Amino acid sequence: MSSQLPRERTAGETVLSVENLRTAFFTDKETIRAVDGVSFDVREGETVGIVGESGSGKSVTARSIMGLIKSPGRVLDGAVNFRDRDVLSRLVDSNRKRTADVAGLSGAERADAVDEDDFAFVEEWDGDEPADGYVDVTRVPDSALRTLRGNGIAMIFQDPLSSLNPVYTVGNQIKEALRLHQGLRGQEATEEAINLLEAVSIPDAKRRVTEYPHQFSGGMRQRAVIAMALACEPKLLICDEPTTALDVTIQAQILELLSDIQEERGLSIVFITHDMGVMAEIADRLNVMYAGEIVETAPVEEVFENPKHPYTQGLLESIPGRHPGEDRLRTIEGDVPTPNEPATDCRFSPRCPEAFAECESVHPVSVPVNEEASDHTAACLLYPEDQSRESAVETHRRRGEDSEEALNE
Amino acid sequence: MSRWSYFLRRLVLSIPVILFGTTIVFMLVRLGPIDPAAAIVGMGNPQGIERIREQLGLTQPLWQQYIDFMINMFTLDLGQSWVIQPGRDAYSLVASYAPRTIWLGFWSVVIALFIGIPLGFYAGLNPNTGGDYFASFGGIVWRAMPNFWLAILLVSVLVQSQDLLFGFNWSNWLVTTDILSPPNLRFLSTPLEAITNPIDWWVSTGANGSFLAALKQIAPAAIVLGSASMGNEMRIGRTAILETINSDYVETARAKGVSGRSLIWKHVFRNALIPLVPIITGEAFLLVGGSVLVETVFAINGIGYLFYQAALNADLPLLGALMFIFILITVFTNILQDLLYTLIDPRVGYESE
Repeated sequence: MSSQLPRERTAGETVLSVENLRTAFFTDKETIRAVDGVSFDVREGETVGIVGESGSGKSVTARSIMGLIKSPGRVLDGAVNFRDRDVLSRLVDSNRKRTADVAGLSGAERADAVDEDDFAFVEEWDGDEPADGYVDVTRVPDSALRTLRGNGIAMIFQDPLSSLNPVYTVGNQIKEALRLHQGLRGQEATEEAINLLEAVSIPDAKRRVTEYPHQFSGGMRQRAVIAMALACEPKLLICDEPTTALDVTIQAQILELLSDIQEERGLSIVFITHDMGVMAEIADRLNVMYAGEIVETAPVEEVFENPKHPYTQGLLESIPGRHPGEDRLRTIEGDVPTPNEPATDCRFSPRCPEAFAECESVHPVSVPVNEEASDHTAACLLYPEDQSRESAVETHRRRGEDSEEALNE
Repeated sequence: MSRWSYFLRRLVLSIPVILFGTTIVFMLVRLGPIDPAAAIVGMGNPQGIERIREQLGLTQPLWQQYIDFMINMFTLDLGQSWVIQPGRDAYSLVASYAPRTIWLGFWSVVIALFIGIPLGFYAGLNPNTGGDYFASFGGIVWRAMPNFWLAILLVSVLVQSQDLLFGFNWSNWLVTTDILSPPNLRFLSTPLEAITNPIDWWVSTGANGSFLAALKQIAPAAIVLGSASMGNEMRIGRTAILETINSDYVETARAKGVSGRSLIWKHVFRNALIPLVPIITGEAFLLVGGSVLVETVFAINGIGYLFYQAALNADLPLLGALMFIFILITVFTNILQDLLYTLIDPRVGYESE
């Protein structure tokens, strides 16, 4: 089905762009702003890492991208724009009424053309078919989400031991994805399932396809889960700590498998982990999250060689083996705060070794760390580092007020 | 070890269980304070008692009696009644009393199953809503009411239904039936008439009884007998659904684009059924014990009632035979449970590979 449509796209085009995403959980006691204004882009064939401590909002970001947030959680605002011609044309076909025609429009005209409940945005038409455009996942209704899930964006979860249904064979679960997204059934589907198991390097795939998850080892199960995700033929793969539950040798194999698959199929990957070492292996770009916000973004080498945000510096310092000969491992004192209020200060300031007075009254926004580095940003009052401290703080204060006004409109 | 050889092993293992259970039955019956000879001829006749004891074989050594008893039971020679209907085969007694108990047991399982599980699944799929609270609270109340109390309460309400339920008369509703009488099951012996003579078979109240009349007569007793299991199934069903629906594999299925209905039916229900299996089969034990009580209150002369009478009248062979049958029922329900497990859950029998 999907392979018949041409995929003529220049390398490096943006596949996913998350803009100012806010997801909150509403409990009786408080509102937890698990994701509070996160923005990042994923380009074709690229691996974008999201790294952070437990509770920093990594997984909630991933689930928001998939539209998997369940009550009492809700995506408050922001956009998750997913660009894929197949998904777009299928969603447009079945939801003409909720499609916004924004071809050739910009700015105010564009805002006028968009209705309250539109979720598909077509920027270019090819006859009656949309040629280019995107889908805003946060606006897609539940009934249409399953067109998107799997086929557009697939996801691999943390624990391979529990992410396969124990009462169905591995083959059955892969075939379910094949039936949903490629329309394969019967013998054809079985053969394709065997091919997929072979593609993820599971030996003796013919026999394995009829076995149950409990007959697989942990690493094998994660391979089977990856095969299941591939069966959907996704454009973007979200990996939520896929190697955390595995031991180190298996971890390396899975990482290698993921990069092989990425190269073969031109997948884009969003990779979530708390393990800096894993990040160094797999990611092209890195986003460092802290308390629901992205505090630093840069290409992965840049982060490791030249970390700017004090939090990133602390994270790197705390990797075991960085300071051989020391008696104790370095840590960052304190815990991640629960973000239950809109930020008016720097959330990291209580733990920050470089905090100064303004850190408690000005909320830092993402700025380029200096004039030359266009792809290295940090949300810290110390930057841009080529400005004086007063003018840097002023920049943050002004931009913070601007975005607040934009929010209130 | 495959699932099926696991099942076969369970089947073989049930033999020593039956042996052991039957031995206990022998001890209970023969070593207890029951003297059947006295029950037959009366206390004032010592010579008569002695003669009867000899006739019944009670003077033989105990081990001899034990071996005879075990051989008889395992060759399915259940003996004859001594007291209740002297000389009548235990077989024929059971055959004439059993249908009513089976009819009662069947409906008490079915009613509980078809009300309890859907209600529990509904509550689990809509957690913390008004409907959930209503069903959950109902489940707890239903579970908490003891059989004997609920039975008496229900009988008294049904008898006075004309006064209590705003003129609704249970006896005359749909078909006229008595409240406290055993159901007439003679229609079951002519199953073909269900098609050839449907009105008589299904609804009329002729000499052979009908399906509807028998169902209506058994319904109050079946609801009482099934009440505890209904509450249990409801509560376990709710928990099972909640646990399954929040599990990782359901999240994974959702993430690969499985739609709502298929998600519930394929990925949630089958897993949620696993903890329900022992609850459902566990009912059989309740039914055996509970039927004695409920049959007595509702005046249904079934197996439970027969057992009660046999115990009161010291009818040893009948008592032993009935207990042996209860053991068989219990063991076979357990085997059925294993079979269901083997069918639903592929992990069964895996650990010894």
